[in-house]
Amino acid sequence: MPAHPPTSLQTLLRQTELWRGSEHALRASNPDAHSPGLATGYAALDASLPWGGWPANALVEIMTPLWGNGELQLVLPLLRRISQEGLPALWIAPPCIPYAPALAAAGVDIARMIIVTPTAQNLLWSMEKALQNPASSLVLGWPARLNGKHLRRLQLAAVTGQTLGILFHQRNIAHSASVLRLSAHAEEDMLAVTVLKARGSHQQARLLLPRQWP
Amino acid sequence: MKSPLFQRPLPQRSLRVVHSSLSPQRRNTVAPSRRRGTLWYALCLPQLSTDTLGTVPRERLQTLAQALDCLSPVVSIQGAGQLVFEVGSTLRYFGGIRQIRRRLHAIVIPLLQAWGLPTDIQEAVSPTPAASLLLSSAACGLAIRHRDELRNALGPLPLHCLPLQEKQLRKFHRAGLRYLRDIWRLPSHEIGRRFGRDFLLYLDRCLGNVAMPVLPCKKPPHFSSHVDSGYAVENTQALQPCIEQLLQQLCKFLHQHELAAAHLHLVLHHERQQPTGLHLDMRRPSRDPVHLSLLLKNRLDSLALQAPVTGMTLKVHEFSPFQPHMTSLAGIQEALQNPERESDILPLLEQLQARLGNPAVRSIHCRNSHCPEQAAEDLAFGEDRKAPRLANTQALNKPGASRPCWLLPQPVALLLEEGRLYYQGSLHLLSGPERVETQWWTQNEIRRDYYVARNRHGMRLWIYHERESQNTQKWFLHGIFD
Repeated sequence: MPAHPPTSLQTLLRQTELWRGSEHALRASNPDAHSPGLATGYAALDASLPWGGWPANALVEIMTPLWGNGELQLVLPLLRRISQEGLPALWIAPPCIPYAPALAAAGVDIARMIIVTPTAQNLLWSMEKALQNPASSLVLGWPARLNGKHLRRLQLAAVTGQTLGILFHQRNIAHSASVLRLSAHAEEDMLAVTVLKARGSHQQARLLLPRQWP
Repeated sequence: MKSPLFQRPLPQRSLRVVHSSLSPQRRNTVAPSRRRGTLWYALCLPQLSTDTLGTVPRERLQTLAQALDCLSPVVSIQGAGQLVFEVGSTLRYFGGIRQIRRRLHAIVIPLLQAWGLPTDIQEAVSPTPAASLLLSSAACGLAIRHRDELRNALGPLPLHCLPLQEKQLRKFHRAGLRYLRDIWRLPSHEIGRRFGRDFLLYLDRCLGNVAMPVLPCKKPPHFSSHVDSGYAVENTQALQPCIEQLLQQLCKFLHQHELAAAHLHLVLHHERQQPTGLHLDMRRPSRDPVHLSLLLKNRLDSLALQAPVTGMTLKVHEFSPFQPHMTSLAGIQEALQNPERESDILPLLEQLQARLGNPAVRSIHCRNSHCPEQAAEDLAFGEDRKAPRLANTQALNKPGASRPCWLLPQPVALLLEEGRLYYQGSLHLLSGPERVETQWWTQNEIRRDYYVARNRHGMRLWIYHERESQNTQKWFLHGIFD
């Protein structure tokens, strides 16, 4: 049997697979263990996430009670930045085709937006392929049906392709494998966001974000 | 078989002309070691003249030209059953003009026999294509090596051999000019003045003073290959080995021709039923067997086989030249920080299009219109290149006018009860009205007042009030903001 090289505690701690309860310890001891996050555009939300923004290569769930309840506000700053850097963003099975003049007015480069409208059977396949591809930097998905198994596969695909995938759906799914789960709903002119789960953090933040006029 | 090349007595004027003639009796023919400049081999086949048979000879000439591709880098079809090809550059390779002639006959005569045509060939070799064509049409059977011999060799040709019009020939006749050597004696500016500058240009081309443009004949490449599966295959997975085989052949073909395939057409043959055709358009031409195999596999996965497959044919007839930057070296692109990252995503989009169909992958565009429905457009990815693009401006969006991120494909009628509007709860207006009046010149005149409203759940909605509408319904939901 081959002799294993001696592993010190430090090397073990440096591994990202090892989950540690306290995000402060994580960031203080080993800042490069987690890839830096992508700023969400909302300072309050950045502060409450362990990555300082959206996790770079992971699956994110955004749950809303209804479709069109302000959830697009959460990703508009990210879309704006990604498209202005010349990177493509895929919209997979959006509830309807996004309105180009509004996105252009919000500063999003619409030439970088790619809309995919698969059939119901091919929706998850398309999501997986898009997430697995390193060239697609951001994948937004509106899956019709979803369970824990699907989420695990999509999360693995996002890690493989080093892609940020954001899923919008309305149901709370048990045994979710996603790295970050948010629930969002509109409250008057504010957007109430609850961090339900963020890997590497155990705080459940509840934030009220200003809702920008598109 | 005897060709007129050897039937005529050879001109015995000077040693050099004799030396470079195509006589089998002469040992010292054009030696590869004395190769200087270009040499053009002309073939004149009166039996394939376009004038007598219509369109078929053109195709036959093309077949001939392709068959001669192995002898020369440039083969060109000239009108009236004439071909000319460059042999100066291949002379050393084939070991002299006689070897080329032997190979040429081995190619041309069986073809002529197969078409049931007489096997007479008129041929000539000279340093200029125009002179070669002229000599071959006059059935002189000369091989002229050097440009300075051209004048002598062309001299005895009667003028009626030249491609001239009847009127001009009469003019020469009246002037007492019978042969080309009569023309040589005249000063060139006089020839130009009397017989036209085109004639002067033709003479200059014959003598090699002016280059003659020669358009090479290249048939568009075409790939077609068939594979029998040997037994009836019932599921698409089992077709994969056949597909790999076909793609290997295709990629070999593409490598040989320095091309990339712009589409694939796969035909699945069944035992009794009509064959199934699969057409795959590619966003970016490719010759990577892995990529092509992935695309075909995705397409086949989504296909339900109607009947067992007994064989398949792969056809490609649209190609584009292979460009090396299509395959970037790993890491170079990152190193150069190339902003054009779209090319990276294309393989994924092609994969998606292959399985979901072309219209399933779309791009969005702004259009110059006041009408909200027409201000946006979504096109299938790939079609967008043809469409006029409006820059990312909001020139038509008035400042302060807000547009929703989601525009419903069809406006949804709103419930109006006791003066209140309802859509998933009662609405209350946040801003408005914004009047949109346009398209009065069409049947579908638009006269709407748009408002931004919010419902019980906090959804921001874009609603409008139809002015002067015939039907009773006047309030509609048109968009959802975020």
